[in-house]
Amino acid sequence: MIKDDFFKTLGSPWLWGIVVLAALSPLVLTSYHMHILTIALVYVALASAWNIVGGMSGQISLAHSLFIGTGAMLSSALLVKLGINMWAGLVISAVVAGMLGAIIAWIDFRFQLGHLSFVLITLAFGEMAGIVVEGWDFLGGASGLLLPRDVGNILQFQFGGGRGAFWVMLGLATFIVLVNVAILNSPLGYYLRTIRDNERAAQAIGVNVLRHKTIAMVISAVLTSIVGTAYVRYLTFADPYLLASPVITIEIVLFATVGGLGRAYGPALGALLLVPLGELLRGKLGGAVPGLHYFIYGIVVIVVILATPSGLLPLLEKIIWRRRAKGLSHDGEQFGGRRGQ
Amino acid sequence: MSELWQALAQGVLIGSTYGLLALGMGLVYGVSGIVNFAHGDFISLAMFMCLALFSAFSLDPYVSALITIPVMMAIGALVYRLLLRPMIGYKFLMVVQLTLGLSLVLQNGILMIFGGQPARTPSVVESKLIILGEVVLRLPHLIACVVAFVMAIGLYIMLRSTDFGRSIRAVHQNAHAAALMGVDVGRVQVMTFAMGLGILAVAAALLLPGTPIQPSQGLQYTVITLLVVVLGGMTNFVGIMLGGLVIGISEALGTVYVSDTLGRLVPYAIFVLIMLFRPQGLSWRAS
Repeated sequence: MIKDDFFKTLGSPWLWGIVVLAALSPLVLTSYHMHILTIALVYVALASAWNIVGGMSGQISLAHSLFIGTGAMLSSALLVKLGINMWAGLVISAVVAGMLGAIIAWIDFRFQLGHLSFVLITLAFGEMAGIVVEGWDFLGGASGLLLPRDVGNILQFQFGGGRGAFWVMLGLATFIVLVNVAILNSPLGYYLRTIRDNERAAQAIGVNVLRHKTIAMVISAVLTSIVGTAYVRYLTFADPYLLASPVITIEIVLFATVGGLGRAYGPALGALLLVPLGELLRGKLGGAVPGLHYFIYGIVVIVVILATPSGLLPLLEKIIWRRRAKGLSHDGEQFGGRRGQ
Repeated sequence: MSELWQALAQGVLIGSTYGLLALGMGLVYGVSGIVNFAHGDFISLAMFMCLALFSAFSLDPYVSALITIPVMMAIGALVYRLLLRPMIGYKFLMVVQLTLGLSLVLQNGILMIFGGQPARTPSVVESKLIILGEVVLRLPHLIACVVAFVMAIGLYIMLRSTDFGRSIRAVHQNAHAAALMGVDVGRVQVMTFAMGLGILAVAAALLLPGTPIQPSQGLQYTVITLLVVVLGGMTNFVGIMLGGLVIGISEALGTVYVSDTLGRLVPYAIFVLIMLFRPQGLSWRAS
């Protein structure tokens, strides 16, 4: 089923070298830089999970704050209001998110929404989710929910803050990136790209559009919800304005686009570059000039999109390809047929 | 019963301004296929310019509009030339992304200059009330409604019977054919975008009296505008004004009859339902 490329990636010393190196980084980094890296990994995970829908099947979903919110706010509410273990909360939220994802995929298919309509309807869902969370006290209302202190009890979904959370995020981010690689190299990935490039043609040659779109959306929603739960545990404060507002979706979409849509590593690259940039700028300048870091960040986004509309990863590949082509000019074709697109 | 009339009146008055906001976006979409997600932040920009003019020269927002309209039009022309024009031909999503980036820049640029505290720009007419039976109307809302409809009718006449209007409609129908007929498509697109921001400057001045403003409001205005444009069938003039009224009224009814936060859901719910069951928008003619 899955092409060998995936297993090559899975056995690649490069991948595991980077992961092990990252896993060891808490030994040398300060807690401030650790925090930045943890946040960056959260966004790597979120942007990669979004990529399954937004990049591969080309459905620009702005409803992902709904899934993050489910994972974060629902599991927190279950813990704080009903005393339900957060592991169970994680599973419940993931199931709920998966169902919401399936409903959205069904609506998209049933009503044959075009690209713009899909963007707008999912944006409306995202806005509605934010308003529901704000207006419903069970989910914390406008003031949010404070989680019990993280004392490192793994049975309670606590990882001891700092390092523990970092490793959990690293694991999640790596897992989701690998899910991306797996899907890209499996029949599902080919179906999704066929649907993205021409839905009618895909349908005409017998691709089950509803089924594959639904599978993609459910996978993406479940993964996003799990990241949401882990993220809120790390933050210990379930803030509806952060976790259930469409702004977080917009950020994710920007990271994915800047990195390279539809590629396995593109969204991860975008998040790894932009989140630390934003956080460092905020740390250095945020206090003095509020908003400056986002301002610069917006300019970076505009410049990247104008300079290389398909994202940074394809640009990097092109540069590397040119280098190699200079060395082995006869080998060019092989690199021309790039994987993953 | 008086609550109902009050809500309806309020909804019509506010909704007409939403309609005006959306006309700008619909025009731009019709001519260049761009959906501007920084629309709301441009409204913010115009509002904060009025605030600055008030702080510096104590100008009334209605007077400031005479200054902000040409400034916004110039900004629009520049933004279109430098940022949006190069993106034509790329995927629809890339333009959306670019305008999202632009929205970050605008919103935080405003935050850097004016700070994040909600601010108000007073106007002489701000506290004047007009009482019609059981319904109490605020004068600024009434002015906004009248000006919005006058502008809308003016635009309609302009599109119908001036050369510039005809060239806009030509580009909307078929840009290629328009170019062959000697219409300077690029120029029409720049002018339309500039005009869209000019309309927005008017709407900003109309909304300003009595409304607290803050830099983070942009996205909400963008979403409202998008809702209205889509309800109106994207480019249909009458449909868009009607869509504005629907959103305005549903917002007003929602806040009166449903609890405040959940009442804000009503426009979105109506939007989703109309999107699903009448994707061509409210207008009954195919546009």
